[in-house]
Amino acid sequence: MAVDRTQGSGSYGTSRTVLVGSLVGLVLAAIGVTVLIDKEGGQKLLASIYDMLGNAAGAEALRNGQGDQFFAKLLLAAIAMLVGVGGIWLLFTGVSSLIERLRPQVRDRILPLVFITPAVALLGIYLVYPAVVTVIGSFQDGEGAFTLANWASLATPPFLEILRNNILWLLIATSGSVGLGLLSAALFDRIRRESLAKIFVFMPLAISLVGATVIWKFVYAWQPPSQPQYGLLNAVWTAFGGEPIPWATQFPINLPSQMMILIWLQTGFAMVVFSAAIKGVSTEIIEAARLDGASERQLFVKVIVPMIRGTIVTVTTTVAIVTLKIFDIVMSISGGRNHDDVVAVRMFAEMFQFFNDGRAAALATVLFIAVLPVMVLNLRNFRRQAAM
Amino acid sequence: MIKRLTMPTVLAVVVMMLVVACGSSSTSPSPASSAAATPGASASAEASAPAESEAPAESEAPAELNLPAVPTGYTELDAALGADKPYEGKKVSIQTQWTGGEGEGFANAIADFQKATGIAVQVDSIGSSHETVLKTRIEGGSPPDMAALAQPTGVLAYANDGKVVDVATFMDAAKLMADFPSTIGLTSDGDRIWSIPTKADVKSMIWYPVKAFAAKGYTVPKTWDELVALSDKIVADGSSPFCASAGGPGTATGWQLTDWVEEVLLKTEDPQVTNDWISGKIKFTDPKIKAAFDRVGSLLFKDGYVDGGGPAIVNADMKTVMDPMFTDDTANPGCWMQKIPVWYGPDFFPDRRTSGTDSKYTIGDDGDIGIFPFPTISDTFKGAEGSADSFMVLNDRPEVRAFAEFLATPEGLKGWITSVGVLSPNVRVPVEWYADNYKLKVANDIASAATAIGFDASDLMPPEVGQGSFWTGVSDWANANGTNTDTVLQAIDDSWPK
Repeated sequence: MAVDRTQGSGSYGTSRTVLVGSLVGLVLAAIGVTVLIDKEGGQKLLASIYDMLGNAAGAEALRNGQGDQFFAKLLLAAIAMLVGVGGIWLLFTGVSSLIERLRPQVRDRILPLVFITPAVALLGIYLVYPAVVTVIGSFQDGEGAFTLANWASLATPPFLEILRNNILWLLIATSGSVGLGLLSAALFDRIRRESLAKIFVFMPLAISLVGATVIWKFVYAWQPPSQPQYGLLNAVWTAFGGEPIPWATQFPINLPSQMMILIWLQTGFAMVVFSAAIKGVSTEIIEAARLDGASERQLFVKVIVPMIRGTIVTVTTTVAIVTLKIFDIVMSISGGRNHDDVVAVRMFAEMFQFFNDGRAAALATVLFIAVLPVMVLNLRNFRRQAAM
Repeated sequence: MIKRLTMPTVLAVVVMMLVVACGSSSTSPSPASSAAATPGASASAEASAPAESEAPAESEAPAELNLPAVPTGYTELDAALGADKPYEGKKVSIQTQWTGGEGEGFANAIADFQKATGIAVQVDSIGSSHETVLKTRIEGGSPPDMAALAQPTGVLAYANDGKVVDVATFMDAAKLMADFPSTIGLTSDGDRIWSIPTKADVKSMIWYPVKAFAAKGYTVPKTWDELVALSDKIVADGSSPFCASAGGPGTATGWQLTDWVEEVLLKTEDPQVTNDWISGKIKFTDPKIKAAFDRVGSLLFKDGYVDGGGPAIVNADMKTVMDPMFTDDTANPGCWMQKIPVWYGPDFFPDRRTSGTDSKYTIGDDGDIGIFPFPTISDTFKGAEGSADSFMVLNDRPEVRAFAEFLATPEGLKGWITSVGVLSPNVRVPVEWYADNYKLKVANDIASAATAIGFDASDLMPPEVGQGSFWTGVSDWANANGTNTDTVLQAIDDSWPK
């Protein structure tokens, strides 16, 4: 089946080999798919192989759900990979070899469609279809009848509080990450051990959101005043004579406490991108500004920042999308039970705990709509940069 | 969509006698269990049992095995236990939230069934994300064959969507009603039965350090006034009376406080009040409900009663909240009393939790940690609070039926009762099975002494209240040390689905 297509695209003989190979491959793929569809396909196939090899006992054991189950699973995984990867390969080579037999004018028109169809189909199935169903679901009650109740409930105080929290996240966490990132990038640009300093700021980015939350839970941990404070922040705070504060669980201090975790994570990302952009600003421009008598602050605010404006927009929109979708941190801290609930957490609770699928769909739609303008901004900026 | 189905059902049944409340004398042990019928049976009694039993040649269901005697009253189960093992090699999957000791107990309960029938049961113990995983599997169209759920409202929601098999289509409904008189109605509309209760909990109990009580000369309080007097004495002696947490497991934040309120309500008002509260007829702002909140607040939020006050309750994790009780091997407790259900136990004791080995602390009236019934408040209303997990059948196949039927028999839980210890909601379970287990015995006594058993109210309210605004509300309430009761109650009322 391994045919080198680069040589044989013109010659009739090789093309036929490809065609036959593709057909054989398709038959094999079909067999593979039937094995995959059957719930116990792996065991059955391995059992038949054992039968052929004369290992009747092993085959019997497999059919009864015992024996070499692990190998049956391995076999199934191997088939899945072959069918998956091979199937895609077959699809492209097979179909394109068929199309190449057509007249050039027709071929050139059809060929792009062939390559784009699978991608469009997958996007449709996994992205467009669920999105449409979600929007429709937000207008349905438990029986599937039309209702506006899901949307109306979003105007009640508890949900307005949730929207307020999301807006605070968007404003504070985004500006915090971007601001600190820009500041550290600009400052680190001037020091000797720049990469070492950057590593320390960048490292948290490698930690997952839940992992970071667990780490910060120890920082924010609270004990009754009579007990020793093992939480870092409260240990310091009480050492200076303060009463221990439940940083993570008492409103309103819990909101900035939780945002701090995201800022800690995202600053590194912003810094690295800004740092690269700052280094991209040509030294001639900076020299020229200096010669014209610009102070360091003027240089930064009036020269460097405008020069890297595109990067700032890209980083800001990227972080903004993260803050709008924020889930892990709030979920791991308290599940949003201390006036710190956000849209994504509530959506999860409505769906899996309250069985209000319609309201969960409405919240998902809100999130979708909120992210949309940011995405558009990001894409537009991306396109402008690409054009430059 | 839930409330339509739930409320009438729930109204009818909630405050009936739960489970074990049916008293010790009226139970009729099934024949297979006669060997274990001697209270306090020791190894010698066990050894002599086979000699006493009339038919030792019958290998069908020996007394040592946790299997019901054939005929069991259930068709598929009888067939499965038959000599020809018709379902041998078949598989049944069940998803539960039971991990740790509970998981171990369930595995013990079903071991003999698997051996005898040849049916392989695959138990998916998911733990705290159980409900999420279950919903994904059910809505994704590939549910497990069976699944356990703690909240009846969840069962009814799935039933309403047509995802649950009505067990009355293959099991004798009258028999189920007789075996589970108080709990079966929680997920039934009279004709159709959507789930079978598996495991019951009694919540009206307080855990305390026995030896420290004796050393200080404290006595177990029988009434609310005695409880307050004892608490004052503990505070005067320089310690904090209560360990309380509104945190965990996972994000299930607040249930311990809602339990406190529900308990006090059952002990101060007619059970009908709890019923009406669940159905929404009585609001949270009703004086009777507010009185229960205030009474709980007057205890838990009183200065010095919980170390750190209300915010400490919100911050404390359910897993670690009782750790101060074990200071100096329980000689100098940092807190003295915790109200927590019967499922609590050595799994949560600090030494076992951190090392994974067996706890060195024993449970018992002469052990390290003891249990006393929640003190009475009124002379008339001495209700107790309970809850029950039940399992749904999600795929209808003969071997699944057989397993469901097995779990519905008293013997279906015997392996768990006699090993790790658990309460069965099946009234045919003989009390003798509980005899060797201190906490089960206490729970049984509590239930027997109660004038009414109320099912966990927050588990029966619409989930967005019972697991949503009620939990958020008590968290808010505790953070403010109970100074904002009216605001909190109004907010919960406002969140009640219309």
